[in-house]
Amino acid sequence: MHDDQDRKPGFRISRRGALAGAAGLALPAVLSARAHAAGKRVVIGTWGGDYARLLHENIEVPLVIPQGIKVIQDVGDEPPRMAKVIAQRMLPHGSMDIACAEAPYAWRMHNMGLLETLDEKKIPNLAHVDPNMRSDFLVPHIWSPQILIYNPKTVSAPPLTFGDLLAPRFKGKVGFPNGNNLYVMMAASLFASGNVDDLAKAKALLIKLNGNGLRLYPETDTVGTAFKSGELQAGVMWFARVVMWQNAGIPVQASFPKEGSVIYISGFVVPKNAPDKEAAYAYLNAALDPRAQEGFAKHMGYLPTVTNAKLTGKVAQQLALPNPKPKLIPPDYAFDAKITAGFNDWWQQTIQKA
Amino acid sequence: MRPVRKPAASAAFFLGPATMVVLVMMCAPLVLLARFSLDRFDPTKMMIAAFTGANYLRFVTEPYYLDVMRTTVFVAVSATALCLLLGIPIAYRLARTQSRYKSTMVLLVILPLFMGGTVRAVGWMILFAHGGMLDLAVAAIAPGHGLDLMYTPIAVMIGILSFNMPYMVLMLQAVFEKIDPALEEAARGLGAAPGGAFWRIVWPLSLPGMLIATILSFIMSMNAYATPVLLGGPRFHMMAPQVYVEFATNNNWPFAAALAFILTATTLALTLVANRLIPGRYRAP
Repeated sequence: MHDDQDRKPGFRISRRGALAGAAGLALPAVLSARAHAAGKRVVIGTWGGDYARLLHENIEVPLVIPQGIKVIQDVGDEPPRMAKVIAQRMLPHGSMDIACAEAPYAWRMHNMGLLETLDEKKIPNLAHVDPNMRSDFLVPHIWSPQILIYNPKTVSAPPLTFGDLLAPRFKGKVGFPNGNNLYVMMAASLFASGNVDDLAKAKALLIKLNGNGLRLYPETDTVGTAFKSGELQAGVMWFARVVMWQNAGIPVQASFPKEGSVIYISGFVVPKNAPDKEAAYAYLNAALDPRAQEGFAKHMGYLPTVTNAKLTGKVAQQLALPNPKPKLIPPDYAFDAKITAGFNDWWQQTIQKA
Repeated sequence: MRPVRKPAASAAFFLGPATMVVLVMMCAPLVLLARFSLDRFDPTKMMIAAFTGANYLRFVTEPYYLDVMRTTVFVAVSATALCLLLGIPIAYRLARTQSRYKSTMVLLVILPLFMGGTVRAVGWMILFAHGGMLDLAVAAIAPGHGLDLMYTPIAVMIGILSFNMPYMVLMLQAVFEKIDPALEEAARGLGAAPGGAFWRIVWPLSLPGMLIATILSFIMSMNAYATPVLLGGPRFHMMAPQVYVEFATNNNWPFAAALAFILTATTLALTLVANRLIPGRYRAP
């Protein structure tokens, strides 16, 4: 028997209602799985800004989307992207099919066993990649040599070696982005010992550089602003940034250090639990297409990683390496992966706090 | 016949599931974080399951991290004190004004909140930078001189102050609004000067609300991230950016988790101390 008072207040869930509700909760997952199955979809974790735009304009629109692959960009900084790959390592399917990564980050993820070993047959354009840049877990996308940057309006004698930055004439006028500290350590090591992994000698040199009024900046772009305002006269930077800043009217020039230039490589990795590896491979192959590579060189100043990309006109002139060709030295990534955390601690406590 | 449902039971029926969801969503990550903080870090494997207090010990034994905490507390206390000092007159004036432009004035106070904290920090960067607006203005007034505030503790303090001020003013305004102006008028009628009436009447009555506004500002300052990074630069260290460096740059999740707990515990402890400083009779019931 039911009385009126029993029916009125609140709401009561029937068994049927509860089942329907539970089914409703699961609906988005079902729909999402169906949508995924209906067509290929690639999720790429990338930096935002120009890089994301150029991925869209040079790779996705002309080369990936016409293959019937939907592209979703997961925009963010690199450390959180790596953290996401780490955090999702236990899941059967992660949220990213491809993660953009600088080579040292890629190596660290590789050491943790997070990355897929690439099936080269599915990336035919890998055949055109410079053999010195290849690895079995990173598709190198862009690269640039490390150079000594200076303001030609205020510096009459350009720095020729890393050691020149210690000269009294550069006191308080040398700087670089704090995030490049590991690469600057390599440059110091290269000058001090001819190798990129002499940590002790590099640290001694960095302490001297710090004593000469080294300036550190939170972002790479703030270094460009510092050159524009006259706060900086010299520093350690990527050749690509010099080209970008020259095009933006900032008075900077590049000097290739006599001891050699460490090379910066940025590329793509595929997490082991990527949901759609086939779509990821299609994207990676497109990224190595000469047309896409030429587009990046034109707009970002980074050099192509494939040998069949042909640069012409002003781009070719700006990105041409000096003759004779400078010594280009790849970092010792395995070594860097081991020392990064310890070096960062030392950097904070010795250089930043000094 | 079924028993009549009591209102309390109905309330529990509605509140229970939501409360449980909030509790689980809030507590589960904290429990996980607590577990991480007892693990060991390895540069290649990242995290090795363990049950060690080494990460907490590292914080208290390495002078660098204690120094970072000292800086954080100093900045948070200073910024909060300044916020209170500058916020009280603005909030009091807003609360008592009869002007028809009152809503416009309130809008002006909350206008900075329409922009994200990072965007505002970038605005300060343009103002403070070498060759920035402030530097050029000083150079124009006093040739040969300049004012380069960028990457200094003052820049961080101003940035945090500007970030917290709208919250402080809005909360204090609400506190003052609730105090009947007739009480002040009565005090004035009995011979109290305006300052005296404020000090003897408004100040004690507003203390509980003021404490809440102060605590909110303090917590936000202790956890400031974008402002110290962008305006303080790489040589200025506060706790929240330090947690990020350990977590994201070094991938040292165990130590980052320990730092996060230490920051939370310190904030909580200092908040409780602040609460005890208010005489019992003025505390919120």
